[in-house]
Amino acid sequence: MRDDVLATLQAILREVIGEAWAQDVEITRATSFNHDLELESIEFVALAEKLQAAYGRSVDFTGWLSEMELDEIIALRVGDVVEFIESCPSSSKTA
Amino acid sequence: MPVVQQNGLSFHTQAFGAGPPAVMLHGLLIGSMTTWYFGAAPRLARSHRVLLYDLRGHGKSARARRGYDLATMVRDLDALLGDFTDEPATLVGHSYGALTALRFAMLHPERVARLVLVEAPLPPLRLPELDHFLRRPRGEMESALPDEIRHALRRGGRQALRLVDQLAFLAAESSLLADLDAEPEIGDDELAALACPLLAIYGNRSSCRPAGDRLRRVVPGAQLVLLPGGHFLPTEAAEALTHEIVRFCAGDVDG
Repeated sequence: MRDDVLATLQAILREVIGEAWAQDVEITRATSFNHDLELESIEFVALAEKLQAAYGRSVDFTGWLSEMELDEIIALRVGDVVEFIESCPSSSKTA
Repeated sequence: MPVVQQNGLSFHTQAFGAGPPAVMLHGLLIGSMTTWYFGAAPRLARSHRVLLYDLRGHGKSARARRGYDLATMVRDLDALLGDFTDEPATLVGHSYGALTALRFAMLHPERVARLVLVEAPLPPLRLPELDHFLRRPRGEMESALPDEIRHALRRGGRQALRLVDQLAFLAAESSLLADLDAEPEIGDDELAALACPLLAIYGNRSSCRPAGDRLRRVVPGAQLVLLPGGHFLPTEAAEALTHEIVRFCAGDVDG
């Protein structure tokens, strides 16, 4: 279950940032969205969209982000999102 | 990525939430739908169905070489809104996005439920993005940018590349600057004819602030709220701005 969420997120992130960039980065729980992946804000939108497609409406990534200050979003790591998804009531993959 | 073809261009759009319709428009140059996506939009989406889109030439919408005048931007909104809803919608805009919403409301009053204008520059030429960036020497340009964007530029890499790309295209390869220079002033008589509820939100340190005073003076029933900050309230006063927008838009739900 844990590895499954991480693997799904890794695959989504590779799509979002593009294979050309993804090749150079190892994506782990400790990987930072801002510092390591340099995920742009507009790419967060794509990430949220793909998470919704994968997990359905029960995973409200956008709502979760909206509760955070900008510096918290900047400090986000892959592991934080994995934990968030696992904390959602029904985070089993729908697609 | 939801992409809508309108006016011969592809627009990147996102819609979420349920309730009365609301559209949120971002500002020029460094703006994109993320101006709202990471702040007020998800909160407003708890009570409204919210449409966000990247303005032409911005974010992931098509890089249009022309059409940055308000008349064309209003036609973009017209087309996207028509696709989104038949009901009167609440329009929320920052900076030039606010001017687009304002012009739209003047042209199509029956389609607007209420207006939230955040840092709308009046006259349009007083757009702080221009004064801050494109018409200044490079060093000053950087120091005028919002913090998180300045940090991204310093670090270089993908974020900086994309932003510089967008700015360079808009400044050098599009008609944006010429369009803004040619944009006519909005007259007091046009403002006074606005019939929908209007909330104007300005930064207490913003160069645009006199426009807020003018809106309150001229538009019947207009509310003016000053928040601590400059022109970039969506990042400088995110929480307070969200609160004001949600409070004002509750009128759509409560009646």
